[in-house]
Amino acid sequence: MNSGFRSMHPAVALLYYAGLLLFALLGLHPLFLVTEIAGLLALLLLQGQGKALLRGLPFMLLMGGSVAVLNPLFSHRGAHILFYWLDQPITLEAVLYGLIMMTVLLTIFIWFISYNYTVTTDKFMYLFAAAAPRTALLTLMALRFVPLFQRRLRQITLIQRLRGVDVRTGSLRKRMQDGMTLLKVLLTWSLEEALQTGDSMTARGYGVAKRSTYSIYKPDRQDKLILLVLTLSGMIALFFWLQGYGTLEIYPRMKSMDFGWQDAVMYGSFCLFVLLPAGLEGKEKWLWRSSKRNKYPSAILKKTGTRSMSSRSQ
Amino acid sequence: MLCGPSGGGKTTLLRHLKRELAPVGMFSGSLTYKGQPLPGLPAAVAAGEIGMVFQNPDAQIVMDTVWHELAFSMENLGIPPAVMRTRLAEICALFGLEPLLYQSVHELSGGQKQLLNLASVLLLQPKVLLLDEPTSQLDPVAAREFIMALQRLNEEMSVTVIISEHRLEEVLPLADRVLMLEGGRLVADASPRGFVQQAGSASLASRQAYLPAASRLYLALSTEAGTAAPENIPLTVREGKRWLLNSRAAGASVVTEAGVCANVIRDHPAANSGAGLPAVVTREASAAAPGIVTPGNAVAEPVTYPAGASGPGGPDSPVNLPAPSAEILLSCREVTFRYDKEGREVLRKLSLTLRRGELLAVMGGNGAGKSTLLHVLGGLMKPQRGKAELSKGSTTGLLAQNPLLYFSYDTVAEELRHMAQYAGASLEEAGREIDALLEVFRLRGVLQSHPHDLSGGQQQQTALAMMMLLKPDILLLDEPTKGLDPAAKDRLAALLQQLRRQGASILIVTHDVEFAAKYASRCALLFDGSITAEGAPAEFFSSNYFYTTAVNRMVRDLLPQALTIEDVIRTWSGSAPPC
Repeated sequence: MNSGFRSMHPAVALLYYAGLLLFALLGLHPLFLVTEIAGLLALLLLQGQGKALLRGLPFMLLMGGSVAVLNPLFSHRGAHILFYWLDQPITLEAVLYGLIMMTVLLTIFIWFISYNYTVTTDKFMYLFAAAAPRTALLTLMALRFVPLFQRRLRQITLIQRLRGVDVRTGSLRKRMQDGMTLLKVLLTWSLEEALQTGDSMTARGYGVAKRSTYSIYKPDRQDKLILLVLTLSGMIALFFWLQGYGTLEIYPRMKSMDFGWQDAVMYGSFCLFVLLPAGLEGKEKWLWRSSKRNKYPSAILKKTGTRSMSSRSQ
Repeated sequence: MLCGPSGGGKTTLLRHLKRELAPVGMFSGSLTYKGQPLPGLPAAVAAGEIGMVFQNPDAQIVMDTVWHELAFSMENLGIPPAVMRTRLAEICALFGLEPLLYQSVHELSGGQKQLLNLASVLLLQPKVLLLDEPTSQLDPVAAREFIMALQRLNEEMSVTVIISEHRLEEVLPLADRVLMLEGGRLVADASPRGFVQQAGSASLASRQAYLPAASRLYLALSTEAGTAAPENIPLTVREGKRWLLNSRAAGASVVTEAGVCANVIRDHPAANSGAGLPAVVTREASAAAPGIVTPGNAVAEPVTYPAGASGPGGPDSPVNLPAPSAEILLSCREVTFRYDKEGREVLRKLSLTLRRGELLAVMGGNGAGKSTLLHVLGGLMKPQRGKAELSKGSTTGLLAQNPLLYFSYDTVAEELRHMAQYAGASLEEAGREIDALLEVFRLRGVLQSHPHDLSGGQQQQTALAMMMLLKPDILLLDEPTKGLDPAAKDRLAALLQQLRRQGASILIVTHDVEFAAKYASRCALLFDGSITAEGAPAEFFSSNYFYTTAVNRMVRDLLPQALTIEDVIRTWSGSAPPC
């Protein structure tokens, strides 16, 4: 299903996700990270991907939680000692840093889920092809083989069972041998077919002239506008980061952050960057809802009241 | 159109016409395209103006999605994006590919894939189109669709089409010229009707297998075939029917027959152009008693068969087969199967029995679950509900659609030896067994070749021979006639009949109506996951309207139960003087 942010030009999505990844790794203030998570979550939920998120949640919490716990155990930097555990000082800074690391990890996990959903392989390849057409073509062809081989191997396994080649039964040695046989069948078959594919490619003039690229995506005005806004807001945030704003210094000693106007501007443009796709998605959602609620404008007056359809029973 | 037996050099000739694919070897003579020698053409012209579509729909596809596959050939020639867009739009509209545009290629059916291959070649706007048995892997419906597409191209865009085909029923009537290759030599070059006429002479009778049913029937029944004007030779079902009715009306004076005739004419005004027919109609109108000529009488009228023949569509008269015994070898009761938990039910409460000595043909559309049924019967997949039961001690042998799945050694001989070992035969026993099979399947010549180097028919026979080494009581065959030339088909049929005589039961899943009508002892139709119709070929097919043989469609108003040419000849010569 393609709608909202997902239906936009892949360049927009790529810029967005590249920006998000960059901001997640820059070591910004937790406030920024939390905002980023909120933006991604909102986008995912609006896209109806709550299930995928839920599936990944245990893993994310495990990884994030372990970082948060382990950091103070191994790192003892910092000035505020909270308590001693097994003669090791546990510092406030280390605890906080662990928590921030956890947030970064969470951000990146959620980022992946969202990225995978929005930037599908073909979209990525489309952008990639513009940069390196020949490599992109080969990669695409290779990528196609993975599911193809899986399907074929399943068929081969089924049929070879008829002649006693079965990896489920027999001694370990026999199983391994059978496994190799199955792969050999797959390889012979696929190589044979690759020759025909090669024929088909030359027959259709592969390598005759410099390749051009057919594009199925065409940037429309909204794409261009969003691209511009994302670029500008991202640049502003980045600019202030380079000036040293929007960061929280923890090691060697935690400083309280003073939230000046520069930070406010930076946070504002950051919010714009992060929340824009979720906003677009939300807008679309709202449009559908409201169009469902409202009556369709129609020239035919809708009659109210029930009409009797049955006239047979007298 | 190119025809001829497998290995006759059709593919080699076609590949020589496409410069990029010219086979390696000694070459003499010259090839010219528009007066220019073929090797001297600029690369872009050679690639673009001569297009080629191959046999295997899968192997030709390069990309992952439909739009990308279509764009591939245009991208190769560096056509600017705007032009590509227009051409793509055009071709999608022509072939109805628009709904498929963003689909992944592997989700397409075989027919769709082959249409996609054709479309992607056409995007380069070729002047000559070479097709190497393009429909051999397709089911009849998809094949017909493909050939219709070709006809449109040929007629509306005047693209030159050179096609090699085994499926002559549809292609021959469309062809302007028929070339026949045999052993690398051109043995015939004529118009379709001329080709039929040549085949009529006794010395070339072997060619008759390459003719459509209407022409074969004509040659079998007509006494003047050698001398008649070529334009009277029927090629299609419609022409065949008209010819039959014409000659019948001219030769017979029985009122009922004329009545049947007139019935047909009322139903099909197009058939009214036959020469002496209007007179017949008027005569019939005044003379026929209303009780005799009712619209339904053609079907209700029983046809008596001459004594000796066991029935229409039954076993061929030369091979007298024992009637199937009542012993049930395989039965399945209310089998339900689906591939995934959430997937649709491919088989739904399907019940089927197979008796000893039977040849049961299961037919059905694409994706009806025919192959799945075979896998379930062969014990490769377990149904979720119901049971497929074998009688005690009997075994099954399954021949899947793709014989390549069976091969894992370097020579045919090794394949067979290993299979015999697996079957548990002793060394000399295996040797004897293999020898006998080689004889039957005519594989002795290819014993030392790699299985992948064999022709499609030989690969299939090798796989079948391997299955036979297991000595199964029940053979399950998936589309065994796909891609076979007429002679190979006859050999396969003879083999199956021989096996039946030895007491084996055979279940074939097929699209090949003619084959089923001729050789099956029972036919069944798989639809919506279960068997919806079942019966002896005669009843089964004569009650169908579309799903029946070309011969039956031609003669159904006269002889509703006749399915094959042999049936017609038998009854015709018994009931009416030859025309």
